Amino acid sequence: MSASFNDQLVAVLPRLRRFARGLTGSAVEADDLVQAACERALARTHQFQPGTRFDSWMFRIVQTVWIDQLRARETRRTESEDEALGAGTDEPSRRVEARMALKEVQAAIAVLPAEQRVALLLVTVEGLSYREAAEVAAVPVGTIMSRLARARMALLAKLGGDALRGSTEDAKAE
Amino acid sequence: MQRPSDEILIAYLDGELDKHETLEIIKELAHDDRLQAHAERLNASARLIRAAYDEVLRESVPERLIAAARGERGLNAVQRALAWLARSRMVLGERPWWIGVPVAAALAGLMLGGGLGYVAGTEQSASLTAQQDLVTAGAGANWLDSIAGYHKLFVKAGTNDRALMDVPADASGDAARKVGQLPPDFRLPNLKPWSLEFQGARLLMIDGQPATQLFYTTDNKSLGALTFVEAESSKADLAPTFDRREDLNILYWRHHGHAYALVGAADIGYLWNIYNDIAWQLDAI
Repeated sequence: MSASFNDQLVAVLPRLRRFARGLTGSAVEADDLVQAACERALARTHQFQPGTRFDSWMFRIVQTVWIDQLRARETRRTESEDEALGAGTDEPSRRVEARMALKEVQAAIAVLPAEQRVALLLVTVEGLSYREAAEVAAVPVGTIMSRLARARMALLAKLGGDALRGSTEDAKAE
Repeated sequence: MQRPSDEILIAYLDGELDKHETLEIIKELAHDDRLQAHAERLNASARLIRAAYDEVLRESVPERLIAAARGERGLNAVQRALAWLARSRMVLGERPWWIGVPVAAALAGLMLGGGLGYVAGTEQSASLTAQQDLVTAGAGANWLDSIAGYHKLFVKAGTNDRALMDVPADASGDAARKVGQLPPDFRLPNLKPWSLEFQGARLLMIDGQPATQLFYTTDNKSLGALTFVEAESSKADLAPTFDRREDLNILYWRHHGHAYALVGAADIGYLWNIYNDIAWQLDAI
């Protein structure tokens, strides 16, 4: 195994954690997932094709491991992260409100069907093209497009109101 | 042109349409205020979605993940540990330094070699000076988070996943000794009286410290899988202390330069009893 392979893996860890956090909805489960994915990747380095995107390959492994875990057990989403917010914090109230709004978004994403969540996280959060996301998810581009649209519309309906108004005003202020 | 579908509008906002389709949407947006407002709301929601996970990128990556990405476990770590031990013998004399000290010290010493190899990235750094410089493991929140995380990893993997085990499940340690993975006087805590079967051990880096996690399973559902962690520590002795991580109970303590922890979903009463047994065994070894 080459050092550059390990270096690439270390470099992509923050994004893998973000992707895994979106999939699992839990910081602890996300890190467990990323660790398992790293170990699987290192055991299958020969399957990576040089010249292709390393991050996409790793996203695919994270997704595969996650699906394996979902099949093996029922996911238990921890509420500890939500409980950690609020009481006892000395953050300015506006920042706490903003964090609460982001938690609302995470919660809304967490209840999307798994395949929609994958499409949303790959395209909207990780910035993959539809074609790249389709390769990661092993589905046609059209399927990614429709799953993504369903996810985006569901979130739009759920978030609606204040969160989006605030976000739009922020954008205009920029 | 008909009012574009949500799918097409989102694809436009994502820059996924070709030139011709893009121009069509731009024209439509120019004279349809409602469509424009809808597009703005979609853009705003995309910003929120991205922002919801931005914080993860700013968090420091847990050391166990970096170690996993570097492949710093398993035989490589053991080989470095043995290389370090060989050099240590040259410094300290021919007598293997672990002889005559408790098994936990011997095992922690082995792990220390592997850990140094990881921390510095080169074998040259595995010196006694570096050993003294190491911040030793205690029982901080990160340490407990990590060992709870590793326990869950074992449980999720199940006993059939041997890839996680650096040291094979052999209660006597004979197999491990034969392949030179463990010091000759290595002994495992025997938890068979609790119907706990040793499944294997893993060499870990937790908070920058080498540690060994021993994994046990049982058919007793009220007890469940259990891991026992040993690590080096320079902190003062600590009486057994209880903590929790999600649905896991943790009992940790420090004794004579070592930090220990028991992790499992078992009732705390079980953990106390097993602690008493292990403490007695380690003192007796």
